Amino acid sequence: MTETSPAAQQWADHLEAVARRQDIPAFEALFNHFAPLIKAFALSSGLHRNGDHLPDELVQEVMLAIWRKAASYDRHKAAASTWIFTIARNQRIDMLRRLRKHQNDLPADDIWELEANTELFGEVRQSRVQEQVRSQLSELPVDQRQVVAKVFMEDKSHQEVADEMALPLGTVKSRVRLAMKKLKLSLEGLDL
Amino acid sequence: MTQWHPHPDQLVEFAAGSCRPGISIAVSVHLHYCSRCRQALSELESTSAVLFEQQAPAPVADTAFASLMDRIAREPAPAAAPEPQTEQRFPRALAALLPESLDELDWKQPMKNLRVTRLMKDDSGLIVGLHHMKAGGRVPNHQHRGEEISVVLEGGFSDRLGSYGEGDFIRRSGRDTHSPQADAHEDCLILSVVEAPVKLTGPLGWILNPFLKA
Ligand SMILES: [Zn+2]
Repeated sequence: MTETSPAAQQWADHLEAVARRQDIPAFEALFNHFAPLIKAFALSSGLHRNGDHLPDELVQEVMLAIWRKAASYDRHKAAASTWIFTIARNQRIDMLRRLRKHQNDLPADDIWELEANTELFGEVRQSRVQEQVRSQLSELPVDQRQVVAKVFMEDKSHQEVADEMALPLGTVKSRVRLAMKKLKLSLEGLDL
Repeated sequence: MTQWHPHPDQLVEFAAGSCRPGISIAVSVHLHYCSRCRQALSELESTSAVLFEQQAPAPVADTAFASLMDRIAREPAPAAAPEPQTEQRFPRALAALLPESLDELDWKQPMKNLRVTRLMKDDSGLIVGLHHMKAGGRVPNHQHRGEEISVVLEGGFSDRLGSYGEGDFIRRSGRDTHSPQADAHEDCLILSVVEAPVKLTGPLGWILNPFLKA
């Protein structure tokens, strides 16, 4: 079995320290690494255009959720960075939907259940996928990499990315799929 | 193991959080039944996490950590909702939309074999609802317009394109015509996500536009 990288293990250790003994230095280390990434993630979706304070508010909300939910983090189910990403994604969805003031929407945690999605996977396997993705990403042609970054990070549907980049929808979809194939994701085996 | 799955593009948008709310509910319900798609989702989320970590960091204020710790000290954590001990009848994303009993819903009955009810309309104009077909009941041949997603919750049904059971995620787009028939031994309950109807069309309007407010 592949060992997980030292950095990945360290984030998992820190989350466990927060869960077990409310370890503030461990939480601060997590904050120092992840808060600027959460803020970048907020900016990439244009949250700041709805209010200058919103990216910092998202950082606070996500880090608060990490503090409170740390006890439900299970390193046998998920890599720490994937778990933190999913919290940031869910909080960003809720914040964007609140801005649209739509009454009917469910809280993101009801739809993107953190626990259910990872039960069969595990940190080692997720970390292996992450290693593989990390090494293959730099090999992607620029046009695929750009589209993948937009589709995965910017809260834009394939159609919105197509509109923004003035590309046909089919081109955006095929670039994402070619990239998934190069990243060796098993998604590629689903009915494309 | 279900046989019919969301399109990979839909899973990508779901993982990124950018798919339309109605579709995200249907995908979430399917994931409850489908370990294959859960695994694909986990890979997509792992990929997202790598991209997330590779972003150029955006600096936060020096005081940000201190003010977060102040807030943690001030605000007591909300009590966690107790996890349900018994197996729930429906996946969480759907259960969140339902009353205690399905009988409390405002069902319409366009024909003997079919009951429909609308649960919500999302901000993109998709309507999420339920179809309930009586065991063995057949719905006359009709054509769909626009995108329609069905996820089988209980029982099963067949049409000329295949047969479907619990958890199957069926994508239909305009021009597909079909005449679904519920399996003989059991009523069939389906989650449906359809574009908001524009108008009733013809004698089968009720089937085409089942969630139109009467
Ligand atoms: Zn599936």
